[in-house]
Amino acid sequence: MGYIIHLIILCLLFAINAMSLNLLIGYTGLLFAASAAFAGIGAYTTVFLLKSTELGFFPAVIISMLVASVMATLLGLVLNKFRDDYFALVSVGFQVIVSTVFMYWVGFTRGPLGIPGIARPTLLGLDFSSNIMFLILVAIIASVVYLFIKFLIGSPFGRVLKAIRDNEEAIKVFGYNTYFFKLTILSLAAMLCALAGALYASYITYISPPVFYLFESILLISIVTFGGLGSLKGPVIGAVIMVLLPEALRFVGFPPEVAAQMRQAVFGLALILLMLYRPQGLVGEYKL
Amino acid sequence: MNALTIKNLSKHFDGVRAVDDLSLSFEKGRVTALVGPNGSGKTTLMHLLSGVTPFDSGEVVVGTTAFSHIAPYDISSLGITRTFQSVQLFEQISVLDNILVVLTERSVWASLFERHSKFHTEKAKGVLEFVGLWEKRSEKVEGLSYGQRKLLEIARVLAMNCEIILFDEPFAGLFPEMVKRVRDAISHMREAGKTIVFIEHSMQLIRELSDYVYVLDAGKLLAEGAPAHVLGERKVIAAYLGE
Amino acid sequence: MEIFVQLLLNGLIAGSLYSLLAIGFNLFYGTVKFFDLAFGTIALVGSYATLSFLKNLDLPLLISVMGGILVGAVLNVIIYKLVYVPIRARKGSNMVLLVTSLGVFTILQSLLAILFSSQFQTLRSAGYVPHIFHIYGASVTSVQVLMIALAVLVPIVMHFILKRTKFGRAVRAIGDNEEVASIVGINTSKVIGGVFFISAALSGLAGIMNGLDRGIEPYMGLALLLKGIIAAIVGGIGYLWGGVLGGFVLGLIENFGTWYLPSEWKDAIAFVVLIIFLIFRPRGILSK
Repeated sequence: MGYIIHLIILCLLFAINAMSLNLLIGYTGLLFAASAAFAGIGAYTTVFLLKSTELGFFPAVIISMLVASVMATLLGLVLNKFRDDYFALVSVGFQVIVSTVFMYWVGFTRGPLGIPGIARPTLLGLDFSSNIMFLILVAIIASVVYLFIKFLIGSPFGRVLKAIRDNEEAIKVFGYNTYFFKLTILSLAAMLCALAGALYASYITYISPPVFYLFESILLISIVTFGGLGSLKGPVIGAVIMVLLPEALRFVGFPPEVAAQMRQAVFGLALILLMLYRPQGLVGEYKL
Repeated sequence: MNALTIKNLSKHFDGVRAVDDLSLSFEKGRVTALVGPNGSGKTTLMHLLSGVTPFDSGEVVVGTTAFSHIAPYDISSLGITRTFQSVQLFEQISVLDNILVVLTERSVWASLFERHSKFHTEKAKGVLEFVGLWEKRSEKVEGLSYGQRKLLEIARVLAMNCEIILFDEPFAGLFPEMVKRVRDAISHMREAGKTIVFIEHSMQLIRELSDYVYVLDAGKLLAEGAPAHVLGERKVIAAYLGE
Repeated sequence: MEIFVQLLLNGLIAGSLYSLLAIGFNLFYGTVKFFDLAFGTIALVGSYATLSFLKNLDLPLLISVMGGILVGAVLNVIIYKLVYVPIRARKGSNMVLLVTSLGVFTILQSLLAILFSSQFQTLRSAGYVPHIFHIYGASVTSVQVLMIALAVLVPIVMHFILKRTKFGRAVRAIGDNEEVASIVGINTSKVIGGVFFISAALSGLAGIMNGLDRGIEPYMGLALLLKGIIAAIVGGIGYLWGGVLGGFVLGLIENFGTWYLPSEWKDAIAFVVLIIFLIFRPRGILSK
């Protein structure tokens, strides 16, 4: 039972990350490869604030989301000059630079040793140390994120994002300064990734750099594309499959180390087949 | 009174002068045709006027204000809108969304909290019914035929309700019934007093629709005047055939 | 003085690796104009094939190397025919091709990890000790000298192929304008297949040399690819000699950069160089 709770929490955390990446790829057409970096920024900033100030978990998370937002805006100023594959490449650059900082700015992050002993959140006397309480917390947060994104996409703002995705040069002619829209959505998505990262840090009570590497960003791109771009449910489905697939493989008899690799292989094959026969993913609205 | 004037406008690509020191004026309320052989600079001129391509030198005067450079997202506030030769729509959203997106608020903040959806949908219905695409409003654009896409672009400029409209080959590749619908749309706008500039190759359509014609060749002005005169001029015919 | 010469040599050695990668990448990108994320991992396929030939089949070094290169190159052509041809036939966008290559990369990498374990392995056989040369107090091995020599020889051979052979002319024509090339009668499918073959052979050669010099592990593919891309962009993307120049420039900057910064920052340095170039001189040093 405890293990099932653990899996559900992971699904919810990855779902938050996947939903935010879907905002960028599926709704705005920006192939972004630095989600893990922003999750890490959220995680490390929150942990830093928790350990060196009197701040509680929630104020710390909010501040780290703001930090992520500022960094995303600065990054956006550079990224906005590029599109498609070059956009992706520069975002990879940011991801690698940030990963290197996590690993080697040992004074701040303790590098490969990681930071243990991260506290679970408390709010108004409620303590989230038990996994069940934490699950409820994350479920509420994930639902709020889902509803927020639903509102965003259903608004005229959301429609503009889709127009940018489909034909940025054309939508400009009709009076939209797409620059600001892209900066805004980049900033929002970064904040959500930071939120997921901070929650992850608090759940596992330990963080170390590899969790926030390029590899994870690429994995996230795979699951968002697989689940379905440009749909609300797609990233959630992708996240669930991503978390549950190694479990299913272990069940079938593969040893744990191989199971993780098999998950990768299955995702890789699935991506290829999808791009060949169903580029919108499982339940997606948008074809690359 | 000129709605739009260009003064000594130039643009070159890799050494080729696409638009070469061009000066023209477009009178308010008039329908002007831009004519000329392929490569004469007509489409480039429209890109320059709509900010899609930046120009190297010269000025564009809208009303009484002169601009030495134009950004694409500024032109609608100047009252300019356009269609595209290669039909630039938003392929993976619905027909209705393609119109709604040009009706809603332009700023980030306002677009998040806009509350006029009923009003906008009414307007969208109006223009879509005019071009006969209201029944297809929930379909994604990628499923439309070529003629329907061109009509959707027309509906879009109608929805923009700008004073100056640039059409880049609005009739190209259309069946006769579609040609009639586009013609009706342009006449409708002309009756509303709009200033229209359109690129066209068909002599008949030019004679029927335009009040004035500019003939371009290799980025320069070759001839100008009322359609009947200009289209019969020797040098104009030579430009088309000699090229 | 010693340190300077050692850094210079290290820069040249790294530079040769990057040059070879960049040449392969430029050949590919200059012709089909999309990023193949599996580029580096294909190099590893060749390297692991060589490893198998050497250690499992006990074949002589030269045969193993050539066999490994051949395996990688043939696999790349098979992937081209099975996966990329259908997508390009329906005019898939660059993004679709990129995500597809992401799938190929993922599946190849995980298969390599499953088959060969994630451990770092060297291609050198047990008893082999490379000859070490000393120059001004700095040392360099025979393998490394060979790498530098190849980085000079290979582009000369490629130059000849591209300028003087029918195949090379066809490649350049396709790079200029694929549609026109096929109208003019060039069998674009066959020629592009050849491009996939040669670029995989080149990256395989680079990977194998690196494997002999240091070693290989399954997750290196992305790093190899990224270095190749950065070198190509810095030198002038799509141009043969641009790739050579970019490779050496990158290798030297990285290594001299470690004079001031710890060597772990090499990757971050590479990306900073990339972003600077993309902002200020996106076409690279040797652009038209």
